[in-house]
Amino acid sequence: MIRVHDLWKSFGEKEVLRGVTLEIPEGTTFVVLGASGSGKTVLLKHVIGLFKPDRGTVQVDGTEISSLTGRALTEARQVFGMVFQGAALFDSMTVFENVAFPLKEKERRISGADLRARVVESLRVVDLGEDVLGSWPSQLSGGMRKRVALARALVANPKVVLYDEPTTGLDPITTDSVDSMINQAKERRRVTSMVISHDIASAFRVADRLAVLYDGRIAAQGTPEEVRRSDDPYVKRFLSLWFEKQ
Amino acid sequence: MHVVGVGRLRAVFEDFGAQVLFAGETLAWAVRPPFRPELLLHQAAAIGVGSTFIVAVTGLFAGMVLALQGNYAMRQFGAEGYVGGFVAISLVRELGPVFTALMVTGRSGSAITTELGTMRVTEQIDAMESMAVSPIQYLVVPRVLAATLMMPLLTVVFNATGYMGGYLIGTFVSLIPPGPFLDHTKSMVDVHDMTHGLSKAIIFGAVVSLIATFRGFTASGGARGVGESTTRAVVWSSVAILVVDYLLTFISIG
Repeated sequence: MIRVHDLWKSFGEKEVLRGVTLEIPEGTTFVVLGASGSGKTVLLKHVIGLFKPDRGTVQVDGTEISSLTGRALTEARQVFGMVFQGAALFDSMTVFENVAFPLKEKERRISGADLRARVVESLRVVDLGEDVLGSWPSQLSGGMRKRVALARALVANPKVVLYDEPTTGLDPITTDSVDSMINQAKERRRVTSMVISHDIASAFRVADRLAVLYDGRIAAQGTPEEVRRSDDPYVKRFLSLWFEKQ
Repeated sequence: MHVVGVGRLRAVFEDFGAQVLFAGETLAWAVRPPFRPELLLHQAAAIGVGSTFIVAVTGLFAGMVLALQGNYAMRQFGAEGYVGGFVAISLVRELGPVFTALMVTGRSGSAITTELGTMRVTEQIDAMESMAVSPIQYLVVPRVLAATLMMPLLTVVFNATGYMGGYLIGTFVSLIPPGPFLDHTKSMVDVHDMTHGLSKAIIFGAVVSLIATFRGFTASGGARGVGESTTRAVVWSSVAILVVDYLLTFISIG
């Protein structure tokens, strides 16, 4: 479903990605783990075409995203839903308008009643009721904003959902419910997910496969168990610090 | 020192080039479906209706000052009767479009840059792109079209209140008889003057809104970056208004 091949990207002198290659099969959840500044978000933004690579390719559902521009790129993005690190809800829109936005844009002839029903259904998946429909993003807690962002990402039935640090800054209970939501989205809607995170516990809960990104390169890649047994010194240290804490 | 100067000059040209490409992209998205008239109306209300009061007040005082200055200058030649024509022609050809554009820059241009800049640094624009919606089409096109359409209308408001202010000061304070005041207005101002001024207003509307949206779109670096972009938008818009005004006037009357 998603193929990233030999991806290189620099910003000025700084090489952020140095030959990243990975493959995500349809209907699976792939987690990219890494410390802050390791290039995770830059990698994710290449997948959705927000950045252009210096070298290498990104293919999603058979389309080479990295070579598209303008209208073609905009249309190719219809397969995506994305949850941003800070939720990125439109602050001039209510919760209803936020969640309805991608649906209204994708299905421009949808009736008002259908639109409302789909928005309410999508909010129900993330355990939010109709009482939040008229709220403004600024009135919601961080956890609720993230849930609304997830509902917005899922409402138009995307084939691929990208999550940028979905559990960062959340309390353990909300983190657990976000993990459940990612798993439910995969099980109920067969979506392919790519999760960028430095939350190791969360990564091991949701990943079918995972990769550890270090200094712009993939240090280890495989099933959670394979990565856990990796001989790479950085991966060992990255994971052992957390496993020791447990 | 020399290298720094060349680098800065190059950055200015690159910035200008990016602005021109942005304008081209906006034009391309403006003629592509889907069209969103509701967003255009919303922006027309925000930019046009929202600026009416401030434009009207500025126009009133500009007209009053023009009448006082005109009377002061023309009295020396015994030509007070021409003050009406002087006020009208100054407003219609020059002050109306320029002052209106400067007021819209201060009020709406800065608001546009701040809003879009905040959306940029909080990833709301990236979010929109990720939903297969062009932010240029959704956010920029309605603002640019609304400003381009509303600027001439606001200029008409400025001219009307300005002439009214000039008439009040000219006839009640400077005691110029109303007859010559109005007659010389009719004889000195023709349709060409009106179209010249309104053409300027249309171009100013496009220029100001393109600069404001571009600065918002390219904002980076959090709240401070948004503030810097807003300052840059207001400064460059004001400079652009005066430069374009000179060029258009030169082309018109050489």
